[in-house]
Amino acid sequence: MTVVSRGWNRLTLPGKFLFILVPLLIVATAALLILITAFGQLAIDTLAANLPIVRFVVAATVILLITVPTAFLIIYMEMKIIALMNLRIGPDRVGPFGSLLSVVHGLKVLMKEDFTPTGADSVVFTWAPVVVYLASVMTLLVIPFAPGLYGADLNIGLLYFFAVSGLAVVGLLMAGWSSYNKYSLLGGLRAAAQIVSYEIPLTLSVVGLLLLAGTMSLNQLVENQQGWFTDWYIFQQPLGALIFFIAATAEANRTPFDLTEADSEIVAGFATEYSGMRFGFFFFAEYVNVFIVSALFVTLFLGGWNAPFALPAAWQVQLSLDPASFNIGLLFIIALAPVVLTLLFGAPFWLLSSRITWWQALLIGFVLANLFIITLAVAWAYIGLNWVAGILWFMLKTYVLVFTFVWMRGTLPRVRIDQLMGFAWKWLLPASLLNLFVTAAAIVVIGR
Amino acid sequence: MSFVPGLGIAKGMALTLRRFFEPKATIKYPEQRADVAGKFRGRLQLLYDEWGTLKCETCFQCAQACPIECIDMGGIDTKGRFHVHWGAPETYGERREESALRRSGRPVPDTAYAHFEGIDIRPVEAILEEFDHDPKHMLQILEATQAAYGYLPVAAVKLISHRTGAWYAMIYGTATYYRHLRFEAPSNEAQVAALDARRPSDGSYLAGLEAALAGAGAGGGSGAGGTGSNGGAGSRGRSRGGNGRGAEA
Repeated sequence: MTVVSRGWNRLTLPGKFLFILVPLLIVATAALLILITAFGQLAIDTLAANLPIVRFVVAATVILLITVPTAFLIIYMEMKIIALMNLRIGPDRVGPFGSLLSVVHGLKVLMKEDFTPTGADSVVFTWAPVVVYLASVMTLLVIPFAPGLYGADLNIGLLYFFAVSGLAVVGLLMAGWSSYNKYSLLGGLRAAAQIVSYEIPLTLSVVGLLLLAGTMSLNQLVENQQGWFTDWYIFQQPLGALIFFIAATAEANRTPFDLTEADSEIVAGFATEYSGMRFGFFFFAEYVNVFIVSALFVTLFLGGWNAPFALPAAWQVQLSLDPASFNIGLLFIIALAPVVLTLLFGAPFWLLSSRITWWQALLIGFVLANLFIITLAVAWAYIGLNWVAGILWFMLKTYVLVFTFVWMRGTLPRVRIDQLMGFAWKWLLPASLLNLFVTAAAIVVIGR
Repeated sequence: MSFVPGLGIAKGMALTLRRFFEPKATIKYPEQRADVAGKFRGRLQLLYDEWGTLKCETCFQCAQACPIECIDMGGIDTKGRFHVHWGAPETYGERREESALRRSGRPVPDTAYAHFEGIDIRPVEAILEEFDHDPKHMLQILEATQAAYGYLPVAAVKLISHRTGAWYAMIYGTATYYRHLRFEAPSNEAQVAALDARRPSDGSYLAGLEAALAGAGAGGGSGAGGTGSNGGAGSRGRSRGGNGRGAEA
């Protein structure tokens, strides 16, 4: 016994962890291998037989998971971009260029006390952020990120989108009502009034587009826009796109229409009584909404995952590089390429300047070689894999739009509530009706 | 130019986009420091205590530290004995109201201050030559000056400061530390004798040193116990050596 305890005490702290973890890992791997050989085929068959369910579960999980880094990224973008526009530097301490600051914010929110006020309807109070968050997240299910990369290709995708995103109003009202606070209630009603008002021009602005496209499936809408960027619907529906953009800004509660939680003016609107992660859900939902609204705008008006150019088929590179054709040579390439490339990229720097020492040259070479390999891999994926190209274009366009939203927040002042309502009912609604009638008339006169 | 809807929005967006690419104004403080002059000292302030008295003790430390010698001050030292000043007489304390009056063109009552008299500087120049203009011999210079003039005239002290490069405030500090030095001409012989009696002689220096050494030896012996005999022997040997040297001389 003493021998065992003495040996254990001699281990360092990482040693103690490893001493337990390594055998556990070996056992777990062996067990997993045995399980796979025993039940692997059965599991695959079962999953293949229930493909729709598997697809739904995987899509729902993936979409729930990607919202978190998306929200973090957009919060970081907001902090950094507005800071740069204010001639400040913004976050620069946590992570590279401060990019992990929003993660720290998320952890902070997670660790705060989750407080329910006395007199609050605790069930409704608890479920309100969930409703708001899910209403945002569920809309992502129908958005086509790339060819074949979507949760579900509903033939009423756009209708589903508006229906589900409209559920957020219910969540806001729930939050305002259940807080047992008149200011929360007023904030909730304000938010509901704004979102309901802007739903109308938002929905009407895309009806003209639907007349043109003849489909409500978002996937089909994107495929209709294939070709050069002039085939995008924004050039056939400029007024519709403008109305949609303005109404979507109000829907996402973004500046200049961020009255519902104008952080510099009112307490926090419907979220006054919320704290901790329940407040975090509202916060997340807001930023996920920015992404979703941008993604929908890209899908409807900016060609979705289509590249802005369509090269003739003769120009397209046919990549038929099969890694298996190298046989055993593949191993040598994988083993030698990093070394050779590091030396190759480092040598010019070493020869160029006597002030660069050999290890600095090697470091530069290593970084450059990695960049080169990553570039090659991305280029190969872009050319070889359809969905990689699609998601790259989609994300590029979406984040340009997200940048625009942040840019607007860095620039524009907030409107008054009467200006907000007057603008929706007196200008946007007639304009969207005009857009609808002109489009319909054009279709009747000119034909499709 | 006529009103174009959205023109203001476009202008604002263009402005923020330009700002986006401009160099930033932030100074990352612990790593970077603001680019101010090396001699910058921030904002200087004269404080008052709770009775409304100026807290300045005329110690001249601020004036000494001032790198561009922009601080002028004048006043009475803390014991109310001497008139001290730093800088051009036009600019220090009790002259400030007066100079304001003078600038206003009104007649200036000059009761408080008498400009320091001119002196014959040949004796003090000879003294400085003798001590090689070396500020390390300040006490000897001051004593010689006092011997030559009977007291330390302000003009002489200013000249010493100018020639040796020692700060006026340092010389003032030295002169006020030793009580046999004086800034005013003595009024009678008895006062001179009394002041001279305060001068530390060689004998008094030696007596003071011996007393200090004896005190240190006794303190070490009683404090350290076991090493007490060694300490006592060391001090005895030292005193014997001193006697021997005295005998040789």
